[in-house]
Amino acid sequence: MMILLNWVRENFFGSKLDVILSIVGAFFIYFILSTVISFIINSDWTLILVNRQLMLTGLMPEEEIWRVWTIFSLTVILMTTSVAFWFNINIKGSIFYILLLLMPFLIFTTKNTLLYVLLIMILSIVFFYLGYRSKNSGLKNIVSRVIVISWIILLPICFLILNILDGPKMTLWGGFMINLILAAIAIFAGFPLGILLALGRASSYKLIKLISTLYIEVIRGAPLVAWLLLAWFVLPKFLPNLFGLSDLNIVVRAMIVLSLFASAYIAEVIRGGLQSIPRGQEEASFALGMNSISTTIFIVLPQAIKIVIPTVVSTFIAIFKDTSLVFILAITDLLRIGRLIPEQQQAFFGKSIESLCVVALLFWIVSLVLSQISRNIEKKLNI
Amino acid sequence: MKKTESKKKLSVEAKGVTKLFGDFQALKGITANIYEGEVVVVFGPSGSGKSTFIRTINGLEEHNSGEITVNGIPLNDDVKNRDEIRGQVGMVFQQFNLFPHLSVLRNITLAPQKVKKLSKSESEELAMSLLERVGIPEQAAKFPTQLSGGQQQRVAIARALAMQPKIMLFDEPTSALDPEMIKEVLDVMIELAQSGMTMICVTHEMGFAREVADRFLFFDEGLIVEEGTPEHFFKNPKEERTKLFLSQIL
Repeated sequence: MMILLNWVRENFFGSKLDVILSIVGAFFIYFILSTVISFIINSDWTLILVNRQLMLTGLMPEEEIWRVWTIFSLTVILMTTSVAFWFNINIKGSIFYILLLLMPFLIFTTKNTLLYVLLIMILSIVFFYLGYRSKNSGLKNIVSRVIVISWIILLPICFLILNILDGPKMTLWGGFMINLILAAIAIFAGFPLGILLALGRASSYKLIKLISTLYIEVIRGAPLVAWLLLAWFVLPKFLPNLFGLSDLNIVVRAMIVLSLFASAYIAEVIRGGLQSIPRGQEEASFALGMNSISTTIFIVLPQAIKIVIPTVVSTFIAIFKDTSLVFILAITDLLRIGRLIPEQQQAFFGKSIESLCVVALLFWIVSLVLSQISRNIEKKLNI
Repeated sequence: MKKTESKKKLSVEAKGVTKLFGDFQALKGITANIYEGEVVVVFGPSGSGKSTFIRTINGLEEHNSGEITVNGIPLNDDVKNRDEIRGQVGMVFQQFNLFPHLSVLRNITLAPQKVKKLSKSESEELAMSLLERVGIPEQAAKFPTQLSGGQQQRVAIARALAMQPKIMLFDEPTSALDPEMIKEVLDVMIELAQSGMTMICVTHEMGFAREVADRFLFFDEGLIVEEGTPEHFFKNPKEERTKLFLSQIL
């Protein structure tokens, strides 16, 4: 007790300035907390309960929701296994992650889906344990390879599940799901493309350098909104008539634009990393007789990417949030739904704040998860 | 250790080599012959072009005019020639330039695997034997940042030797080391010299140079001012600039 009092006295009432700051700070915190808590208690949250499915999956029909659940379960299980296998999780960390995952679950489950939820949770715990145990066993290499391959094929499998057996039209996809899918595609396609562009811009072949630089500067020259609108109006005219490319639906066009946009920004981040590698590394590699390509792949690029991981993850988070801009293409993403509910549903007329709070919460959770992953990767690489 | 020059093969032949960096002429016409098995020490004040010269030998710096021939292969615009020369010439840098993201063993096995297409086991066997030769086989699994400067430089020497070069270039290998670590690196270089390797060393370590060098080249302001045996330099140097420089460092 005495120790606590002493700690409080030292840290909050040390000097005259401390005392003033503490008092001002206390009032400030009280003010904010009371407003927030009274808001939370007094608001009508039935809006969320009623519109759960709408927010998560948009206009997808009820019968097709099982696809979303399958994808979700696969992703969660893969994530828990990866986390257990690669990161050094202690008890505190695991509880934090579990609570984090539970939150959206609790908000969005209904009585029917409770069984699904329990099943997923049990499977996650099982795989978590398996991943944790195999970390130190002899199967380490095989498990590692299996996990990496699983991640790579996860996205195509998701598409398969969404489309198989006469799946719902792509234009019906919406809600939180479409934000996640668009972001995933933009990141998975944009990252390798960004690497190629960065290498192209640093290349000694003048033509490649010119094309890469031009691409990056042009893309960065306009806001994403402009590019998305261009995708709507202009892109169909440019695409050749082969393979039905000119009939590409708007969701695929949005994916293309987002990927190209992301690649330009990722390219610049990686180029910064490439430039920070001392020339001596290249010289040593050349002196050993390795050619430019080997030097880049084995010596320069690994070091460059390692250095820019924090910035790259920031870019990923920004890309994820940028996906809400697809509302201008009439794609019903989470933000659009969040805005439309208070406007179009009589029962919840005017309750924009509650609606947007949940939207913000969901975006924030994803950003938080991405940041945590980034921090864990950095810690792991600095060993 | 004197070797008769006329009976040995010519390893490196430089004729009238010049190098321009913008407005600054680093090499003003270098002509030198280095024979197989010779240990040549290059010394001189900073900015005299000694590092630039040895970097032109393996193509890290492109010379502007003059001819360079390494083991009979002319160093010119043909990239194939340059790559072949690089396969026969190993280089050790002042800043070690080890690859920090790879283990010591991987640092050494990477180039033999990628360039000489050695198998994993062959390259690792080679790497371990070289690590033993330089005296640090127990460090194989560690990463460069975990080693001391002297150990890192020895790994760098092993890495260069893994490509089984015929000529070794040393660019001030001990200048970045703390004094107590210089000896361990010099010992490796002495063993290398005694095993018959053709070596060109840029160094300030006169004691080492006196012990192993067959010939000295004194550089100043982009030209070779004087060359000769170590005894010649220490007993009666001819040029004024040589005398001045020697008086400052000895």
